Amino acid sequence: MTQDRSQAHVSRRKLLAGAAAAPALSLATPSIAQGTLKGTKLTILAGQWYVPQTNTLLDQLAADLARDSGMEIRVERFAGDELMTKTASVIGTGRGADLAVGVEFDTYVYAAKLNDVTDLADEVGKNYGGWMDAAKAASMVGGRWKSLPIGQAPAAWNWRTDMFRAAGVDKFPDTFAGLLDAAKKLHAKGTPIGMTLGHASGDGRSTNYPVLWAFGGKEFEADGRTVAINSPGTLAAVEWYKEIYQYFIPGTTAWLDPDNNQAFLASKVSATVNVNTIYLASRAAAATDAARKNIVDNMDHANWPSGPAGRFANYNINVWLPFASSPNKAGQREFLKAWYSRTFLPKWTKVGQSYFIPQLAGFDSEDVWPEDPKLKIFRDLNKINRLPGYGGPPTPVAAEAVNKYILVDMFAKACTGQLTPRDAVAWAEKEYQQIARRRSRT
Amino acid sequence: MGSSTTAGAPDRSTRTVRRSRLSDLVDSERSLGYLLVAPVVLLLLVLVAYPFSVAIGYALSDRTLADPGVFVGLENFVLLWESSIYRQTLRNTFIFTAGSVAIRLVLGVGLALLLNESFRFRRAVRAAILLPWIVPTVLGTMAWLWMFNPNFSVLNYILVQSGLMEHGFNWLTDPDLALFSVLLVNAWRGVPFMAITVLAGLQAIPHDLYDASAIDGAGKFQRFRYVTLPLVMPVLLTALVLSIIWTFSDFGIVYGLTKGGPMNATHVLATLSYQTGLASGNIGEGAAISLTMLPVLLVLIIWQLRRIRRSTVA
Repeated sequence: MTQDRSQAHVSRRKLLAGAAAAPALSLATPSIAQGTLKGTKLTILAGQWYVPQTNTLLDQLAADLARDSGMEIRVERFAGDELMTKTASVIGTGRGADLAVGVEFDTYVYAAKLNDVTDLADEVGKNYGGWMDAAKAASMVGGRWKSLPIGQAPAAWNWRTDMFRAAGVDKFPDTFAGLLDAAKKLHAKGTPIGMTLGHASGDGRSTNYPVLWAFGGKEFEADGRTVAINSPGTLAAVEWYKEIYQYFIPGTTAWLDPDNNQAFLASKVSATVNVNTIYLASRAAAATDAARKNIVDNMDHANWPSGPAGRFANYNINVWLPFASSPNKAGQREFLKAWYSRTFLPKWTKVGQSYFIPQLAGFDSEDVWPEDPKLKIFRDLNKINRLPGYGGPPTPVAAEAVNKYILVDMFAKACTGQLTPRDAVAWAEKEYQQIARRRSRT
Repeated sequence: MGSSTTAGAPDRSTRTVRRSRLSDLVDSERSLGYLLVAPVVLLLLVLVAYPFSVAIGYALSDRTLADPGVFVGLENFVLLWESSIYRQTLRNTFIFTAGSVAIRLVLGVGLALLLNESFRFRRAVRAAILLPWIVPTVLGTMAWLWMFNPNFSVLNYILVQSGLMEHGFNWLTDPDLALFSVLLVNAWRGVPFMAITVLAGLQAIPHDLYDASAIDGAGKFQRFRYVTLPLVMPVLLTALVLSIIWTFSDFGIVYGLTKGGPMNATHVLATLSYQTGLASGNIGEGAAISLTMLPVLLVLIIWQLRRIRRSTVA
C-alpha cells in the first residue's frame, strides 16, 4: 500500500480550521497558547500497527504538534513483546516515556501509576456520541478513566465462499449448530475449517472467548474476583467445541498467531477466525499474484454465529497510557487532545480500513468506514466486543488467565481427549481460583 | 615560610611518605592481590550479586509491576506448588534438560571423536559443525518452526512423499512429541559446543599414550575406555555442567516454537516465569518460578567449582 502524503498530513492549522466547523469545539481548540510547551519533551512509546498509514499519521501528528507547540516529541517504536517490556520498565523506574500504547489489561495492572484523564475521556465521549461499553471496561478503574481507548482490531470469520458453496453451504452459518453442520460438510469435501487452540497470544483469545460467552459461560462474577467458569454454559461450550474439533484441519492445538493465516492463504482451510489482515494483504498483492487474487475473489468476512446466550466477539483494545511519572503532564494532555480532535481521529480511523476502530458510538454514522463490501462486517463486529474477565472487568486476574491460556487450554484438553469436558472445566476452575487467590493478596 | 608557599599542596616529605605507602601497598603480595581482584569483585557485586539478591527479595514478596508489595515469606512457593501448570512445567523442565543433555552428550562426544580423525576437508567440516551454535537462537528456531509446522512441515512432506508414512508426525501438536521436538532443537543447538569442547580435550591427549597402549595390545574400544575417556573427562564434565545450566534456563527455543503449548506440554520454568512475571505483571511469583532452578543450579555450580579448585591445586 502506498502512502498518500497529502492525506497523511495533518497540520495544526488545518486541525484548528476543522475544529471551528465542528459542533463540539473543546477538543480541537488549543487549551494552551502556542509555544508555551517550548523546551519541554514528550516521549511516546508505540508499536507498529498493521496498516502503515495509521503509523504514518501518528508520526505526522507528532511532527505537527511539535512544530506548533514548541514541544520536542519523539515516537519510539518497538516490535511485539518489546513494547510491553519497555512499558513495564517505565512503570518500574518512573523514567523513559510520557505516553505509551498499551492494551486494556495495562490500565488495571498499572492503574496506580497512570494519570487520571476522566475529564478528557468525558470530552471525547461527548464529541463522538459516547464511549461503547467495551471502551469503558478497558479504561475505567474504580469509576475513573486511567487510560484512553485508541481502537480495536475486530476478528471476523474469514471464509471461502467457493469452498462453502462446493460443500453445499451457501452462506456463513448464523448459529453454532449451523457452523458445526457446515464444518462436517466441509470436512467431508476435504476443505476443513480451523480454529486456533494453541498458545497464540492474539488469535488464541479472539477465537475462544466468544465461544464461551455465546453458550452463556463466563469467567468471573461482576465483582471480578469470584470465579464463575464452572457453569452449564461453559460445559455446553466445551462440548460443542469437542464435537466440531473432529472436523478441523489437524494441528490446530499447536497453532500460533501466523498459522491460521498461512493455512487460509494456502487454501488448506475453508474458514478461520482472524482480523482483516489476510484480506488486506491479499488485496494488496492481488494485482501481481494470481493465487492471492483467487483468495480475494473467493473469500469474505462473516460475523460470529449466535449462540444460546447471544453473539459476541473478543479482541484487545489498544489504549493510551498516560504515565503519572511524566514531568510533562501538559504536553501529555495536549497530545491526547490532538489525537482525539475531529480533524485527526476520523481520518486516522478511515485510513485504518476497519483494522483499527475506535469504540465511539457516534462513529457508526460518520464517514470512517471502508467502501470495500468485503470489509463491511467489521462495523457490526465493533459493537459486540467483550473483554476477558467478563462478567467482571479485565482485571490483572483475567489478564494472567489470558496470558496463561487457561481458557484456550480448557477447550484444547477436552477437544484432544486429554480430559473429559467436565474435567476440563473443573481443571480451568481450579487454575482460575489459584490465580484469583494469589492476586487477592495485592 | 614553607607553609606560605605550599598552602593547599602537600610538601615534598608528605608526598614521599604517600608514595612510599602506595609502594608498600603494591609491594605487598597480599594487598596487591586484593587490589587486582577488586574490579572483578565490584563488577560481580553490581552485575550478579545485586540483581540476584533483588530477585530473591522479589520472590519473597507479592510485588507486581505497579506495586512494590509486601514480604510474604515462602508463600509464593507454596501457592505455586498447588498449581498443576507449575508442577507440569517443573516436570517438563527436568525432562527437557535431561533429554537434551543426553543427546548432546552422545552426539557431541561421537562427533568429537569423528572430527579428531584425519579426513579431507576436516577444517571446513569442523567450522560447519559450529553453525547451529553460531546462528542466532531466533533464526534457528524459525527454521525449525517451519520444519515442524502443523500444516506445512517439510519433514512430514519428505516422510509422506517418500512413502515412509501416510500422514507424518504431529511434531508440535501431540503433547509428548512436542516436548521431544523442543528438546531436539535445544540439543541441535548445543551439540556443536559439546563436540568442539571435547575435541579440544581430545587434541590435548599426547599421542604417545595411544602408541603405548597399542603396543600393549589395546583395541580401539580399550584405548577409548582406558586412555581417551579418563583424560578427556575433566573437559567433558565442564561442558556437561555448562550444558545442564544453559538448558535448564533456556527460554528462546521453547518460546519461539510453542510458547509453552500445546496445553502447557512444553512449558519450562523460564517461559512460565516470563508469562507470569512480565506478561502478567506478577513479579513476585515470576521471580519465585525462576528461582526454582536455583537449588539444582547451585549444586551443580558448587560441585563444578570444587572440582576446578581440586584440579588447580593438584
